[in-house]
Amino acid sequence: MIFQPAIIALLLASAVSVTLLAAAAPFAVQVIRHWDIASGSERQLQLERRTYLFSTLAVFVMATQLLSLLLFVFNADKMSVMFVGAMCAVGTLNVDPFGFPALIAQMTVFFLAAAWLAVNHVDTRAPDYPLVRIKYTALLALLPALAAVLWLQLQYFLNLRADVITSCCGSLFSEDTKGLTGDMAALAPVPAMIGFYASLAIAFATAAFHAQAKRGGISGYAVAATGIVALIAGLAGIISFVSLYIYEHPHHHCPFCILKPEYDWRGYALYLPLFAATACAIGAGAVQPFRSIDSLRAQIPQVSARLAAVAAAGFLLFALVATVFVARSHLVLIE
Amino acid sequence: MIELKDVRKAFNQGQHNEYWALSGITLAIEARRVTALRGPSGSGKTTLLTLIGCLARPTSGRISLHNRDISGLPERFLTGIRRKTFGFVFQQFNLIKGLSAIDNVMLPAYPTGRPHRELVAHAETLLERLRLGHRRDARAEWLSGGEQQRVAIARALINDPEVLIADEPTANLDTTLAKQFMAILESFGEEGRTVILTSHDPLVVESTAVHRVIDMRDGLLVEQ
Repeated sequence: MIFQPAIIALLLASAVSVTLLAAAAPFAVQVIRHWDIASGSERQLQLERRTYLFSTLAVFVMATQLLSLLLFVFNADKMSVMFVGAMCAVGTLNVDPFGFPALIAQMTVFFLAAAWLAVNHVDTRAPDYPLVRIKYTALLALLPALAAVLWLQLQYFLNLRADVITSCCGSLFSEDTKGLTGDMAALAPVPAMIGFYASLAIAFATAAFHAQAKRGGISGYAVAATGIVALIAGLAGIISFVSLYIYEHPHHHCPFCILKPEYDWRGYALYLPLFAATACAIGAGAVQPFRSIDSLRAQIPQVSARLAAVAAAGFLLFALVATVFVARSHLVLIE
Repeated sequence: MIELKDVRKAFNQGQHNEYWALSGITLAIEARRVTALRGPSGSGKTTLLTLIGCLARPTSGRISLHNRDISGLPERFLTGIRRKTFGFVFQQFNLIKGLSAIDNVMLPAYPTGRPHRELVAHAETLLERLRLGHRRDARAEWLSGGEQQRVAIARALINDPEVLIADEPTANLDTTLAKQFMAILESFGEEGRTVILTSHDPLVVESTAVHRVIDMRDGLLVEQ
């Protein structure tokens, strides 16, 4: 089971990421302990030269994590044909107890990686490496998270058994299911739509305002906060009503079946802008604590405004795509 | 203007052939003066020049330009400083064969995005000033040694740098051409440009165009 191209690619990506970060860890400790930009010592100059190499490695690792989430979801959906009872990615993820934890861990690392990349980006815009210690401390903090993703993926993929009868999405995303997924599926369409569009509108407006104003501070944090709320509301909206319109079925709430070719991979058209927008919104917020550093005073408003602009565009695109799917559906959910 | 604090530079550090080209240079170079670094081969003149011009980084120590550290700057900032602050005249001139004299002169200015017409006019002015106007379209390989050197000087000046750096500028020239170079150098001194050059040619270091001579030996300043 493990010898699937996508599984091999995912495990390789995770293993390489953990190995590279582990290799960078001693250097990160050196930076945290000994960095002194005022010094002209041999050690300081060596640290300055090596930050280029290690920052490049770290950017590669983080960019890999962004792509891994996409591949993980694609693989889970693609493998559903191999398991009895699996209709989509939900079945694949339910084959053993590590499927959903692996997905959630990968999603968490995706957003943490986005925040780290934003901080790294502004740091490289300043001549005096102002965030170098913070960057490398964050890198050390991310190492256990990446190791956890690798461990969960290994457990998940090594425990996949083709003879296990798994439960399909109907049992997880049903109005009768107890828990968060059931609650989201049970949401009435009108309140769900109001929450969905209101959250997206607030996230869009906040991000657009921040992009326009090009100022740091509260509006930057607000972009991140409203972005996270929009992500949750977006996912809840997909489960509660968008998926119903796509399937044209009043009780099929699965957020994964929409990734299947039978539904023209429409899920990707929803998730890609939503996740990209949220990642950019988090990035815009992640750089705000450093806006008062002299060498970043001019950089942070520009960078966070650009991130907020992409976030605003992403949320708008997501809302438009969802609206088009709803409008073109033959399902009548609201009289 | 340019300050060096305990600058050291090693090559092949940690290997059996480790070599310390500079062993602790502390020095201040004044603006709008012509400064010559004098010393025998292997004294570290060229290494020091490459560090000042941001072509290499020191192994330890700091170099500052107008009180701003430039030895530890990230590469993206160094590129701008190299392009705008320093003009280089290399010992072998390093002109691009196959390109005309004027194309060689304009080359360092292309990344600045200046309008082409303005660039051509500036390059022509520089070539005229160095009495090379009639050779503007001659390919680099067709030029004599003295002409190549003057094209290299024009190329170093195309971005109007604050500091002109020249490594052994008269090493490949006969006496007549060396004297012509000194006349050019004198004019730079008169217009207040900062020039740093290396030489062990008495014609250069004993010239009135040179305001200060710094002696070097075995990677150290002799006065130290």
